[in-house]
Amino acid sequence: MNDFLEIMKQLLEGYLTKFTDIFVNMENFPAPLEVASELYTLVVRWVFPILAAAIFLRCILPLLQNGKEKAVWGYLCMTDGTRTPLKNWENLIGRSKFSDIVINLPFVSRSHAVLTFHNGVWSIADLGSKGGVKVNGRKIEKQEIVDYGDTLSLSGVEMALAPADAEPPKGLLQKNDTVSTPPSGRHIRTGATLFLILIFLILGSIQICFSMGTQVNPAVPLTLLIFILAMCLHYIFMRWFSRKYFELELLCYFLCGLNLLIVASAAPNSLYKQLAAILTGIVVYTVIKMIIGNLGRAHKLKYFLMASALVLMILNLALGETYFGAKRWINLGFITFQPMEFVKIAFVLAGAATLDRLLTTRNMTAFIAFSGACIGTLVLIRDFGTAVVIFGTFIVIAFMQSGDLRTIALVTAGAVFGSTAVVSFMPYIASRFAAWGNVWDLANTSGYQQTRTMIAAASGGLLGVGGGNGYFKYIPAADTDLVFGMLSEEWGLLVALTVVLTIVFIAVYAVFLTKNSRSSFYAIAACGAASIFLIQTALNVLGSVDILPLTGITIPFVSNGGSSMIASWGLLALIKSADGRIRPE
Amino acid sequence: MKLLSTRTALVLIYSLLLVLGLVAFTVKYFNNASAWVQYPTNRHLYANGKLHSSGTIYDCSGSILMQMVDGTTEFNKDKTVRTAVMHATGDVNSNVATGAQAVFRDRLTGWDIINGAYRFNNKLSSRSDLTLTLDADLCATAYKELDGRRGTVGVYNYKTGEILCMVSTPSFDPENPPDVEANPEKYEGVYINRLFSSAYTPGSVFKLATAAAAIDHLNNVENNLYHCDGKLQIGGDMVTCPSAHGEVTIEQALANSCNTAFAQITLDLGADRLQKYADLAGFNSRLEVDGIKTAIGKVNVADVEGADLAWAGIGQYTNTANPLNFMAYMGAIANDGVRITPRILADQGIFSFITTSVEKKRVLSAETAEKLGKMMRNNTISTYGEGNFRGLELCAKTGTAEVGGGKQPHAWFAGYLDREDFPLAFVVIIENGGSGSRAAAPVAAKVLQAAVR
Repeated sequence: MNDFLEIMKQLLEGYLTKFTDIFVNMENFPAPLEVASELYTLVVRWVFPILAAAIFLRCILPLLQNGKEKAVWGYLCMTDGTRTPLKNWENLIGRSKFSDIVINLPFVSRSHAVLTFHNGVWSIADLGSKGGVKVNGRKIEKQEIVDYGDTLSLSGVEMALAPADAEPPKGLLQKNDTVSTPPSGRHIRTGATLFLILIFLILGSIQICFSMGTQVNPAVPLTLLIFILAMCLHYIFMRWFSRKYFELELLCYFLCGLNLLIVASAAPNSLYKQLAAILTGIVVYTVIKMIIGNLGRAHKLKYFLMASALVLMILNLALGETYFGAKRWINLGFITFQPMEFVKIAFVLAGAATLDRLLTTRNMTAFIAFSGACIGTLVLIRDFGTAVVIFGTFIVIAFMQSGDLRTIALVTAGAVFGSTAVVSFMPYIASRFAAWGNVWDLANTSGYQQTRTMIAAASGGLLGVGGGNGYFKYIPAADTDLVFGMLSEEWGLLVALTVVLTIVFIAVYAVFLTKNSRSSFYAIAACGAASIFLIQTALNVLGSVDILPLTGITIPFVSNGGSSMIASWGLLALIKSADGRIRPE
Repeated sequence: MKLLSTRTALVLIYSLLLVLGLVAFTVKYFNNASAWVQYPTNRHLYANGKLHSSGTIYDCSGSILMQMVDGTTEFNKDKTVRTAVMHATGDVNSNVATGAQAVFRDRLTGWDIINGAYRFNNKLSSRSDLTLTLDADLCATAYKELDGRRGTVGVYNYKTGEILCMVSTPSFDPENPPDVEANPEKYEGVYINRLFSSAYTPGSVFKLATAAAAIDHLNNVENNLYHCDGKLQIGGDMVTCPSAHGEVTIEQALANSCNTAFAQITLDLGADRLQKYADLAGFNSRLEVDGIKTAIGKVNVADVEGADLAWAGIGQYTNTANPLNFMAYMGAIANDGVRITPRILADQGIFSFITTSVEKKRVLSAETAEKLGKMMRNNTISTYGEGNFRGLELCAKTGTAEVGGGKQPHAWFAGYLDREDFPLAFVVIIENGGSGSRAAAPVAAKVLQAAVR
């Protein structure tokens, strides 16, 4: 409480004296431009955290309300007259409370059968139940196609499949039928949220321009303007052509906008490249969403993706160029990119596609081999951060496929053992571990980057010194691996924390989506992508402030880097595809 | 799908870990940001490893004690003044840990947790300037009176807590720092502000704590007579007294600083009561002066008995006292038993009413404080000589603390002025200065006369 009061006191006093200082110092200003610039920063540095918080809250609230207006793909009509909606493309039927359709009768197995909707056709698969499954009175072996009106019998419990659009027969009870429930809670208008993002970016770019004094780089206003236009167009496009929610995209616009402001301050010459990456990212996002919207296509894509990922990795090993100690880049002459960023998308899709149907096929060998290849390549090119990301994501995907905690624990233990061995053999990574926890003793050697990040964060305070006014941008990798320091210094700790929470939220949201996603493919893909976002952010932010060992890795959407930006949008498409909810008109 | 969604818990665990990490960092940030920002490579505050600007430190009347002009630190124009307040301001290299320049560095460099190192118009705001409660001239007087001897002088207002005088010797001129290492004897502990950071054997001044316990717990103590024939046999040990005082009351025993009488009083009280009153008087705890922590003076008599206990009751044994803390006890006696924590910052800010209430603690009952005060006034009148402290309404106690090792005892003089217009409490200590009344009392007289002028 006292701390709070102390802060309130400082706040009030700070501003009272500032206002008196304005008048005292006015005559000392050399130029009216500087007067404007100083006054501008004085005011807007308070506006940014408020805008950031408003944007964040306005986006998370509707997503958390987790709309109940969800598509129904069919109904199961029981003999007692109740009708159960089938909300997923894969429905587990059984006695267990984890089943989608619970039949609590002792002679039904815990996980009895899976009813799957695939390419417009329903089919049922027996999961090795004791009582067996019959379709129209005939016992099935493994899997059988089911037509509307067919009678299913699970250990003698009978039910009939009905199409989604069938009018409910009169006098029948509707069980759990929430299709027509109007959305609950306050309606938050996305247009206004977009407007707030727009204000943030405009105020932010003016701030950057002011910080450049008389030599404003025209790239700053121009790229921000093009980005804002693109953002609005994409928004309008989504409003017209999609009935999905788009708070997720709004949050990513916000992060990309911040990315441009960071780049404008640290490396204005890469602004056009970065803008191009964002625009490409949005295109990639749209294309991937369209491709995997069709589940059959997504499954077929698996082998192609794995193959191209392998090619990329081989190319990386053969042609890769080394910067900052990692052989991460391929130079094509006109463009330099990081192939491993794109391998991430292939990795998640391949992992998700390995599971053909819920609880049916478990053909993980290919996926495990593929994961091994990815991690092996990353170790060879000395990109240990990404290796950790891929491994952490592998754990998530493998656990979602098998549910086998013991195996996962075993694999993790093996990996920890293996990486300890790797660390002890590689002096470069060992020195990072040595610096971990005592960076201030090694402030000018292996703790250089972490200490400078903390100094920058402390210099920014909660509100920041104003975009473009920092000194941290002159530290190598300030806008990529150490971007958290730059965010804190120039835009303030509050904005920096909001950015991290935004990414945490995107991941949590992906988890919420899986409850209602159509198919296990989308659920696993969304969680895989979410894990990549989370682990990258954790390694970047916590590594740069010495909570974890430092690894060179980007924050999705926020760090400067074309490959990373495009890959982030690609991964976002995987999360978005799990979203089966329909926006109310 | 329900089954699958239970398995997404792993992603939630990842999220939780990231949030926990973020919380860990935020806690670390709030605790350490003020240290991080002062790293000398931070270009917001430093150029080539040196502060490029800093707020000005003033004394209570507006004299500049320390300022930064074009990247150079400057001190008061007067050499005696800047030497006298060197421990208050700190030196150029921040060797004095309790100096304002080190303690209030955040404020002087314009950093706070909300605004960071942001400066409007690249200038420090006037909020970066500090005004101390110190009176520079009074400090200079005290420094001169110490006359090269090691020790400390403190004077503070026991109603408001403002420290007017704070001098610690040895000191040096911060504009021409000497080679301290070449002269270790002359500059022994030169970077320590003795008022804040030292703990000395208190000697007889401790009798003021013992007397308070006696007033509260011994029946009819004012009328009791104690016999003194120059020594007191306790078990196999002896408590000695400078002279045989005969039959004395507690008031006479305090005025004559009779060890024998106070040894008997201490034994009558017992260890527990003595411990309690020592703790009330501020021993075994530290004070915080605007965030500057004092050293702890220690009295531990929990399992002590016999002659050791008796010696503890007259301020010897293992007792130590922190000068500022003891001065605050003097203030408490003067202020009807309520101790006001001393402070060094004069400008607590316009909105200080939100946070800063004068820190108070009742350490003695009003009656006890009044009785003790009368005895201290009697000390001056009957022993120290009112003529030496004309007009001061002085209530005080001397101390001659034996330190052993063949060295001269530490000379103490502590007390207060019983005046409405100058509610001042003080402490003077001269290391190995000999008798409290001969060495320390004249310094106090000069400083206090200057303070009321």
